[in-house]
Amino acid sequence: MPDEDAGLVREAIGGDDEAFAELVRRHKGTVLRRAARFARNQEELEDLGQETFLRVYRDLRSFRGDAPFGHWLSRITVRVCYDALRKRRREEKDVSLEVLAGPVADPSTTNGPSAQMARMILYQAMSRLKPEERLVITLFELEDRSVREVAELTGWSETRVKVRAFRARQALKRHIGGDDER
Amino acid sequence: MNDKRHDRWDVELDRFFALARQSTPDISGVERNFETRVMARIREGREPWYAWAWRLAPVFLVLTLLLAGWSIFYSPERPADPVAMLASGTQEIALLDHLTGE
Repeated sequence: MPDEDAGLVREAIGGDDEAFAELVRRHKGTVLRRAARFARNQEELEDLGQETFLRVYRDLRSFRGDAPFGHWLSRITVRVCYDALRKRRREEKDVSLEVLAGPVADPSTTNGPSAQMARMILYQAMSRLKPEERLVITLFELEDRSVREVAELTGWSETRVKVRAFRARQALKRHIGGDDER
Repeated sequence: MNDKRHDRWDVELDRFFALARQSTPDISGVERNFETRVMARIREGREPWYAWAWRLAPVFLVLTLLLAGWSIFYSPERPADPVAMLASGTQEIALLDHLTGE
């Protein structure tokens, strides 16, 4: 599969649109599932997904092929989501009610009102984090990635990832726990 | 006391994360024909400038027709005789000369 991806990348660089479409077809699920952790609604998810693949297409020539295409794509997805969080942070001074809805969730997998409420509280609290803290905590806690993996995906040092994860956790406890924890 | 409360929120937070991990993001709506839309955007960004000129062709056609119609149907009233037209201008000058004694 990775070899096939490398072949498709070469064909896409050569101008074969169908090869690039095949790459999108293969990896869209992974990209969209990750982006859905950051998107507030379906439109935003569509934007994040499209932006990711547009950047991939633009930077295709910089893919060296020494690592699997999927890894390279993951880093671009994380970068696009991080940029979106930063942009959103600039636009939103306060937490809007829309954020209460949380990210896109599949209703069929909810675990009743308490689970849904817990998720809503968590995502509301996460929306108040700094973009870098939210990114780290999402990769670390929700995607269950190791510190090393998060460092590779973000391009930050492991120490920085650990510090940001710690701060994010402290901030989340404050937001969820209320003022008594401050 | 404070440590206990601290532990309680750590446990609570882990519970929230566990619940959030269980939920599968719903991407089915966006995933459908996603590659088609991505490829359309890529082709759109690749279009040369003259593709836009062709798209604007109907606008230019309508403008041309409007200008042609205006030039045909708009005709301000003018004296039919060119000599009379000239005379109407010179009469005023002659009267002015007469009044000023030049």
